[in-house]
Amino acid sequence: MIIYTNEGNPLGLQLLMLVKHAKRQVQVQLVNLNDPKYKDLLVLPTLQLDNGLSLFSPAAIAKYLLVDEGKQRDEWLEWSATLLAPALAHHMAVGHKADANALPVLNALVKKLDDSLQSSPFLAGDKLTAADIAVWSLLAPEGTLKGAQNVDRLRDWYGRIKVLPEVQEVLAEQPLKDLSFNALQQSNRYGGLYHIPLKRLSVADAGKLLVDTTPTVADTVTDDEIKAAQAAFTYTAPKEIKEERTVLPKAGQRNVLITSALPYVNNVPHLGNIIGCVLSADIFARYSRSAGYNTLLICGTDEYGTATENKALAEKLTPREICDKYFELHNGIYRWFGIGFDYFGRTTTQEQTDIVQEAFKDVLKAGYIITESVEQLLCQKCDRFLADRFVEGTCPHPGCGYEDARGDQCDKCGKLVNATELIRPRCKVCNSAPVLRSSDQLFIDLPKAEPYLKDWVDKSEGGWTHNAKVITRAWLKEGLKPRCITRDLKWGIPVPHPGFEKKVFYVWFDAPFGYVSMTKRYTKEYQQWWQPVKGTDVELFQFMAKDNVPFHSVVWPSVLLAINKGHTLVSHIMATEYLNYEDGKFSKSRGIGVFGNDAQETGIPADVWRFYLASARPEGQDSSFSWNDLAARNNSELLNNLGNFVNRALVFCEKNFNSTVPEVVATQDDLILLALVNRELRGYINSLEKAKLRDGIRHLLAISRHGNGYMQTQQPWVLLKGSADQKTRAATIIGLCANIACLLANLLFPYMPATARTLFGQLNAKQTPLNADKPLATLLLPAGHKIGKPAPLFAKLEQSFIDELKSKYGGDQVAAVQSPGNAAELEKAVQDQADKVRQLKASTKDKAVWQPEVNKLLDLKKQLEEAKKATPAASATPAPASSNGKQSVQDLEKAIQEQGDKVRKLKGSTKDKAVWQPEVNVLLELKKQLEAAQKAAKAAPAAVPAPTPAPAATSSVDPTQVKALEDKIAQQGEKVRTLKAAGNADVWKPEVATLLALKNELAALTGAPAAGGQNKGKKKK
Amino acid sequence: MCDVATVQKIAHCLGVNPGKVQLNEEQVVTRISGQKKSSVAGFATILESLAQESKSETAQNSKASREVEAQVYQWIEFSVLYVAPGSKDKHVSKQLLADFNKLFASKSYLVGHFITLADLAVYYAIYDLVKSLSPVDKEAYLNLSRWFDHLQNRPDIHQGEPLLNFTTIYLHGWATGTHI
Repeated sequence: MIIYTNEGNPLGLQLLMLVKHAKRQVQVQLVNLNDPKYKDLLVLPTLQLDNGLSLFSPAAIAKYLLVDEGKQRDEWLEWSATLLAPALAHHMAVGHKADANALPVLNALVKKLDDSLQSSPFLAGDKLTAADIAVWSLLAPEGTLKGAQNVDRLRDWYGRIKVLPEVQEVLAEQPLKDLSFNALQQSNRYGGLYHIPLKRLSVADAGKLLVDTTPTVADTVTDDEIKAAQAAFTYTAPKEIKEERTVLPKAGQRNVLITSALPYVNNVPHLGNIIGCVLSADIFARYSRSAGYNTLLICGTDEYGTATENKALAEKLTPREICDKYFELHNGIYRWFGIGFDYFGRTTTQEQTDIVQEAFKDVLKAGYIITESVEQLLCQKCDRFLADRFVEGTCPHPGCGYEDARGDQCDKCGKLVNATELIRPRCKVCNSAPVLRSSDQLFIDLPKAEPYLKDWVDKSEGGWTHNAKVITRAWLKEGLKPRCITRDLKWGIPVPHPGFEKKVFYVWFDAPFGYVSMTKRYTKEYQQWWQPVKGTDVELFQFMAKDNVPFHSVVWPSVLLAINKGHTLVSHIMATEYLNYEDGKFSKSRGIGVFGNDAQETGIPADVWRFYLASARPEGQDSSFSWNDLAARNNSELLNNLGNFVNRALVFCEKNFNSTVPEVVATQDDLILLALVNRELRGYINSLEKAKLRDGIRHLLAISRHGNGYMQTQQPWVLLKGSADQKTRAATIIGLCANIACLLANLLFPYMPATARTLFGQLNAKQTPLNADKPLATLLLPAGHKIGKPAPLFAKLEQSFIDELKSKYGGDQVAAVQSPGNAAELEKAVQDQADKVRQLKASTKDKAVWQPEVNKLLDLKKQLEEAKKATPAASATPAPASSNGKQSVQDLEKAIQEQGDKVRKLKGSTKDKAVWQPEVNVLLELKKQLEAAQKAAKAAPAAVPAPTPAPAATSSVDPTQVKALEDKIAQQGEKVRTLKAAGNADVWKPEVATLLALKNELAALTGAPAAGGQNKGKKKK
Repeated sequence: MCDVATVQKIAHCLGVNPGKVQLNEEQVVTRISGQKKSSVAGFATILESLAQESKSETAQNSKASREVEAQVYQWIEFSVLYVAPGSKDKHVSKQLLADFNKLFASKSYLVGHFITLADLAVYYAIYDLVKSLSPVDKEAYLNLSRWFDHLQNRPDIHQGEPLLNFTTIYLHGWATGTHI
């Protein structure tokens, strides 16, 4: 038999012990699941039996190898595999997987073990069984029981098993110290056992049986780190960060050119667009400047194309006016977000036209232009050639078949599509099927550039993000094809080629040159950046979302390589994945999601948005924007961690040291803190050098977390009240914390520039350059430095406020459900909730589980009751107005006017439909009443001179009411007649009673005797 | 998932009275049954006890030999440890689908060539995950889909629930026919 396991896997020990217990011989083989040789192994350890059978469940193996030892043993076996092992894995986890809830759960499990050993010497009776082995082997590694209290029976049991010869034999082969629960991460392809949620036990708290053995990070600091920290922590007058008027690259220095993908001018950017390019580029640029590199950040709007033409038609403006209008919108949004472009330009400039036409002539001269006749889709209904984005149809790629593929790319499979190849194309505007027409177009010969491009990609892709590499490789693998660079449009750059004067360049050829032309608007010396002289190195960082990668990694580099004039080619493609909105997509048309201008309206500061977006940046995979997450990060990380630390440090300095930074005489504890800070600082620098903005934030927050922990253990507030020695000690602590606060202000600056400036103000300090080569904390505020006035940096985001925003930007759906007074919907909700409660109650006795659901149900019922009350009340209010004839018409008209004003005001003040809808309903109801009243008033003159006048009463009689009653009587009479014809007396008798009652009512109102009485009277006369 | 409702469904499949099924104080599913009100805790152990009492074909299959019994047990445990909790995790669920798809490339049932409790346990544990798949995804996990569809068509398994759709014919005009 062979046990396949991975290094350090505690379950390997378990198998070994079980096999020994069954008196079998076994070999152990350490394997790696990534090795293709073991691709068929699902979970480690796996036992391969001599008969070829493979088993990976220790419990199944125990049952198979050993005789039946009873149901109790089986229950323990399952318990150890499904409860104990996952709890231990969670408890022993390190880093971000560490789970503070694991310890109480584990305490309860250990207590159960200890309790059950009270009644019998072993878990399943008087003899050692597989159950004992399974549990023992899990508790033994990493010394779970070391230092545990009040578990004497368990300790005794543990000791008895440990001394068994068969156990000793196994431990000689597999020492306990080599085992670790973290090895389970490599034991399967599911990342270990972390996906198993910890079961929240409903038993009473078991108390603190196990000691919290998590090693503190402080234990891991080495002497070298301490020495380095001590040596670096000295004061040198900081170099000023000089800002030159025009930044140009310099030979022998690091020159960083940063671009952000050009947003299309018509689209209002949403949060995903903002973090995808402009904000990421800005954070990186700010870092790059503070690291002392020559940095230029360029961006602008992409303005040419059909979409603009259409928008212009729709808004009855010229394309130029449309661009002007939307350019300002973009500019305003980015300015609000604090994006510090060196230049924010546009593609509709003379510079752009010159550069693009020049580039075209170069490409043409180099022989990369082909002319071909192209079949284009013409929509006869709209009378124009359809640009790619205006055709949709079924994706032609085999295996995809997505029905809503766009004319240039399929959203489903991501492959590029030629509009003419779409199966069943349709015009996006009018939905009719376009026809094919041919016209001559210019193509760039990408296949000719392919060899050069491949060489270049091999050399350059090292600095690209993973997705950029993958996408580019996929393109190259498929082979490049000639791409059309001209279009039959008007709004674009004219093609300077005979016979093509009426055509313009397509976005692929046009837009990327925007980076160059915008740099030219920034400085006449733009060629120093884009065609640097020999000896000057320019690194080009381009930020974008992943859908833009092919244009930056394949198309544009091919063009530049074809021109072959030493253009700067991209060295770092920084592509993000997509940001979702609360697990759905952003949608402008459905009002879902937060768009650039909305962020401003929320009242949440731009810096908080920047911080949140950077920390939720979709770096390795798609991520989601979530309001709750935003609030949680603001409250727990900015407010309680960073803000709290900085504020405490400065307030202590202000109150106890007269706003003067005291001298730091560093002891071992302080140096450990500095060493830990240096670790995070190095992590921060390394992350930001690679534009891993999300990781940078993590390291930054870790520094303030270390600071908070330090303050908590040192307790300067206690020391300040103590002896002279203790007071000196407190001084050091505060001096150190103030310095770390200043370091934090520097690190925070790229992410939250406004906040960092405020903090610099409170510190009375200036920004200091970051030393990327030697990332060690230095003394930034020397003893005697006067600080400014500290004040809280962040404000709490309340849940109620967040809920409000959530419903506001969640689209119509959410608003509808929350609207009160919707009795039908509430009733349904009550019913559903009741079902849920019944089910829960049936499945568990645990009150803790179902009580919250019951509470929810009661709450819903209350709401329903209120809603029911409110509905009749609402329609009843205006009713009295109709009780009096003509006047009621006037009253109603007045009421309608008032209500109308109210509605208009409400609609003006809020977009929230839930607020104004009820008022609109009231208005509609009033209008209906008015209509009825007007009709009745018209009918009244005819009704009054009826053949049976009752002179005394007429004046006070309400004609509407009379009419209504008469109608009712007529109806009821009809009903009675039909019923009587049908026969059954039981059925019609009550209806007759109703009829009589109605007649009496009429009589009382008009003063005239009811019809029946009248006749009798006549006869008597 | 591997909870009270699943035990009841499987008991129904096996034609056994489930008795009283509930969660105990450790949130572990527990069955109390028989005249002596004996209790069994743990999903896998309960399923074994149900198989003991059942005369159904599935139960008999599951006890065909010691080898079969051991394998059936390990898949039930797998569904508790990996399938049920892992279905809710984006990455784990992808890996699970791929693994099962690979497994079913060469066999029709998890253990042996007959239906056992292993199939039932995994079926109910993976049900919600399969239900959430798009038609294209289902096509990507063709072998898994075939196994799943085969099981769901048994009345003792679907127990009146609407069947999941595995037809792909409406996806492409040019894909003629279904894969099942």
